Amino acid sequence: MNDFTKLQTLTDNIGTIIRGKPQAIKYVVTALLAKGHILLEDNPGAGKTVLAKTLAQSISEGTIDFYSANGGVAFKRIQFTPDLLPMDLIGSYIFDESKKDFVFKKGPLFTHVLLADEINRASPKVQSALLECMAENQISSGDATFPLDQFFFTIATQNPIEMEGTYPLPAAQLDRFFMKISFGYVSEEAEFDIYSNYQAINNGKNTVKQVLTYNEIIHLQAEAEKVYIHPELIKGIVRMVRSTRHHQEIALGSSTRGGIIFIKCLKAWALVHQRNYVIEDDLRDLAQPVLHHRLIFRNREASRTALQQIVDQEVNRLAKMGITTKG
Amino acid sequence: MSKQDQYERFRQLLIRWVLVLAPTIVIGFITLRFLNFSYTALNTGILSQTIYFGFGLLFAYSLYYYGARIVITFLLLWLTYWLFERMINRLQGEFDVFYATARFQLYSTLFIFGWIFGFLLARLRWSYILIFGMLATITLVSISDTIDISLSYILIHIAPVVVYGLYMLFLSPLLTDRIEISSKKSGKLALRIALFALLILFAFIITERLFKSDLKAVEKELAARGAKNKDGKKGDSNYDERNGLMEKGGKGDDGYRLKDTMRVNSKMSQSDKLMFCSKLDNFFPDGSPAPLYFVYHYLTRYDPVKETFTRDVNVPSFDEFDVDPVNLPMYYSYTDTTIFRKSMAEKLRKVVEAQVYLSENTWKHSVLGPSSVFSIQTIPVEKDFQKTFLSGYKITSFTSELNNAYFVYNISASPNLVPIQDKRHEELRSVMGYSKVDHRFLEYYTQYPSGGIYDSISKLAFSLTSKESRPVDKVIAVRDFFLRRNENGKRIFRYTLKAGAVDDPNIPSSRMLYNFLFKTHAGYCTYYAGASLFMLRALGVPTRFTTGFAAINRSDKNKGWYWFYASQAHAWTQVYFPGYGWLDFDMTIGNEEQQGAPKPDGTPPLPPPEPWLVLNAKAESVDHKEKKLRVSFNQLIFLNTAYTLNQSFNRPVDASLCRVMYNKKDTTLAAIHPGDSIIVVSYKDAAKRIPQPRTDISIEDQVAAFPSPVIADEIHIRGKEKEKKKEEGTKKGVNQAAKKMTWREIAWMAAKGAVGLLILMLLLPLLYLFYRLIRVAMARDAAAKADQVYRTALYRLHMAGIERENETPLDYARTKVDPVFSIGFEEFMHLYLRLKYSQKIPQPGDSAAINQFANRVGFSIRKKSGIFSIFNYFNVLLALRYFRSPQKNDYEPPSL
Repeated sequence: MNDFTKLQTLTDNIGTIIRGKPQAIKYVVTALLAKGHILLEDNPGAGKTVLAKTLAQSISEGTIDFYSANGGVAFKRIQFTPDLLPMDLIGSYIFDESKKDFVFKKGPLFTHVLLADEINRASPKVQSALLECMAENQISSGDATFPLDQFFFTIATQNPIEMEGTYPLPAAQLDRFFMKISFGYVSEEAEFDIYSNYQAINNGKNTVKQVLTYNEIIHLQAEAEKVYIHPELIKGIVRMVRSTRHHQEIALGSSTRGGIIFIKCLKAWALVHQRNYVIEDDLRDLAQPVLHHRLIFRNREASRTALQQIVDQEVNRLAKMGITTKG
Repeated sequence: MSKQDQYERFRQLLIRWVLVLAPTIVIGFITLRFLNFSYTALNTGILSQTIYFGFGLLFAYSLYYYGARIVITFLLLWLTYWLFERMINRLQGEFDVFYATARFQLYSTLFIFGWIFGFLLARLRWSYILIFGMLATITLVSISDTIDISLSYILIHIAPVVVYGLYMLFLSPLLTDRIEISSKKSGKLALRIALFALLILFAFIITERLFKSDLKAVEKELAARGAKNKDGKKGDSNYDERNGLMEKGGKGDDGYRLKDTMRVNSKMSQSDKLMFCSKLDNFFPDGSPAPLYFVYHYLTRYDPVKETFTRDVNVPSFDEFDVDPVNLPMYYSYTDTTIFRKSMAEKLRKVVEAQVYLSENTWKHSVLGPSSVFSIQTIPVEKDFQKTFLSGYKITSFTSELNNAYFVYNISASPNLVPIQDKRHEELRSVMGYSKVDHRFLEYYTQYPSGGIYDSISKLAFSLTSKESRPVDKVIAVRDFFLRRNENGKRIFRYTLKAGAVDDPNIPSSRMLYNFLFKTHAGYCTYYAGASLFMLRALGVPTRFTTGFAAINRSDKNKGWYWFYASQAHAWTQVYFPGYGWLDFDMTIGNEEQQGAPKPDGTPPLPPPEPWLVLNAKAESVDHKEKKLRVSFNQLIFLNTAYTLNQSFNRPVDASLCRVMYNKKDTTLAAIHPGDSIIVVSYKDAAKRIPQPRTDISIEDQVAAFPSPVIADEIHIRGKEKEKKKEEGTKKGVNQAAKKMTWREIAWMAAKGAVGLLILMLLLPLLYLFYRLIRVAMARDAAAKADQVYRTALYRLHMAGIERENETPLDYARTKVDPVFSIGFEEFMHLYLRLKYSQKIPQPGDSAAINQFANRVGFSIRKKSGIFSIFNYFNVLLALRYFRSPQKNDYEPPSL
């Protein structure tokens, strides 16, 4: 079983539970392979939690530190609320009677797959606690620093900003999410399928097959890094990123980090699509989820169209470009 | 705003001055220059006009650049204008001789025009389109007013406007932003301008290709005309001037036009320049010479745009003899017998012969001579007089007994003319009216505008002639009006040259004439002639404005010889009398204050020897040593009669005593080469045996009996062998009285060009397909092949009606193409993208797959849409959409 088919089985496996959302599944897997984190923005009940959980359950043999109940990689879910405190996430020192000493009681952040539910309902203080572990893959508490597992993967969800009782994520934090995707409602056929089979799906949640191992994921992450990206495509990305900065309807353009993340995601995305090279279509598929949340638009209209214009222009240029003789 | 910002802003303004305003001022200058040649109202000097225009432009642009308020500034402008106008309007009557008001109106109009242009350029992004449209309209209107239109004339005059429009079009995207003079930006600028230059070049090439024939004809004319410089310099710099036809010419031209002559009229210093001299065989029965006025042009048509009368060739019974005398070959004769009919005269007519020697070669498209010239023959100028006179011709004219200058002069100059002229008037009193005259003719020559000042002029005319019914009495009444005296016995009208320059041979504008008639009462010939033209036409008397030269018989030393100086350039009216034809009437009163010093008459040039034989021949062989040549000919003039023979003769010519001329300059026999076209002239002299013309045998037999060899006295080389074609063109041109383009021809040519372009455009998509297919066939390795196949497939599918919009080619293949054609485009796209973006070398099966796909594309399209899918390729719009890039984001950089 080569790398491509492994990934195929992973996405297929998740697809048995999450019906009608193949694209969303691929985005999540891409973020995982790019060693990034993903932000899902959607209304309640669209299947965000189930997706995260299924992903965790599909991967077996976590490292020694933490195991999930059914033997897959560890999965923790935190429901963010306005009164949540950072120590609720990272853990705290508590007095151990037997040792007569304070020992660190690890919080729910010590896991492989973390579902940070409704992240924008927590106070900025808590949100920023997530920053470190997402960016640095480590947790600092007091004088001690605890490394997180290299697998650490956050799936955050947020309610649409307009809803009441939310603290919008600051731009710095948004920038750390590799992708922000919107689940959206499924199609009519898929919805019919879900309603017809909800019993089976429900059962399936508990009996998700473990199709990949922890080590295989680590291997695939390494493979994703090796995916070839053509210099012309990199030029295209440069132009796209730069034009977001000069576009008159975009107040804040993409950062250089955004560009790097874009390339990482492109590579992972190509791997998910069973290619070891990136093509122009990938740029188009990923530009929205990867770049859109990094930009600040001047108006609503622009937020729908401006990025798309830039991408279309660039992709069209690439499509018309001939094969360059130099590989 | 910081100081630096202010400085930067000012710098930007300066850059815009150079990039935008300078070209606009230049185009303004060009347009004004053009307008100045078309309209008399503007006669104050192009440079000062441009300065006013440019000043308004600069001022307004800078003002609005710094964000001046529109309403306030325009109000201020209006206020200033109003104040000045009030001030100027106080100058009335005598003070207004120099047309301060007219000048003020003109300058203020130009200033305001410049102002508006500046405003538009500073504030409106697309203003240049507006300006371009305006300029183009002005130019086109002016062109359409021109009488003699040739295609190159139009091209030359419309080209600057087009160039300006294109320039602004290319420049405008730069102007929205700050213009940086950094290496990168100026590189961009340079690129843009280079591109622009390339485009202009391209346009010129296209024009040259499309209108080659016309330009060639012009060149021929040039070659024939630019003969002065024998060394092959064609004088291209004068191209447009020479081609400018008519009196519309530029500065730095090669001599006097009538226009200049008229201008000279107001500058006495130069007016003693000799224009031409003439021997006129017109004498009174007692043998004293009877001078005649020499006509140059007629102005007949009222032009509502210029508000004056202009020249017109589409005239009923147009009796002008339209030949270019300067460019006729030597001894060439041309007769237009229709002139007899067109002159519309029977009574008191006679035929008058005259020789005219021109001191300038600038009398184009018209023969100077007493009206109405019907025949011309060029004659050589005696060697000793060649410095003074460049060319000469002999004319025959059909003229009236009532036209001699003593009948025509205004009696104010010498009252003893009154009894002489009364005789003429008595004769003309027999004409009672114009009831029997062709109404079309009458309508044309009595057309008169109505309203405003025209009504006041016509009222004046009617008040003068309330008692008169005969046309001649009306004419006399008008003449007498100019001779009226006030209560002090002083003339009301006076002659002055300082009446406002009219630097065209046109009539002063109607406004000027109105002022002349009612206010200033001072003017020179064109004023008197113009005013009487207006008045007589208002009275329903067919009249035309005539420009030319007044003949003055100064001494009886050389009887019949007249010298014409620039100051004699004159304008008068011709009035039509049924049966008598057109008769001259000169209303200009004499100058009481100043009499120009009498000009001396020169020595008349010796009459050229009379030739008995002129051969239009081709040199067959030349013997330089023996000074003999052999010529073949089939055209000749034998004792003043031209013949064309029905067979070609070959004769030896004895050139031992002969004068050889090329381009009117002496040369040697060595200049003649076999094949050259020459004219051989043999004089009538006693030493020769001259055969007598006989009527009983044919001309061919007479020619056969001519003495051999022919003794040549003059040989004119007409053209070298290689120039022969050009020469023929010229000859043709001469026969048609110079090449003229009619509107129909232009339209036809334009239509041909348009159809050609259209066909080319229709064919382009197909040609592009062929190009793509050739590229496919040419491609060697798999990657290149895939690339070409990909492009071709995209194009063919597009032309088959499946258009790719904003989707990527892969999406396009998957969602649009494969469902329709099922040609496996998606698989091909995968393969193609792999070759394009991966670093791997092609896999073994690739080439086969590519070829397979390439074959499948054409096949499935044909199968699906039928063989007629080829017609899609004529859909240019569809093809255009293929090359269009996706909707560009409307990126507008913030303005300054």
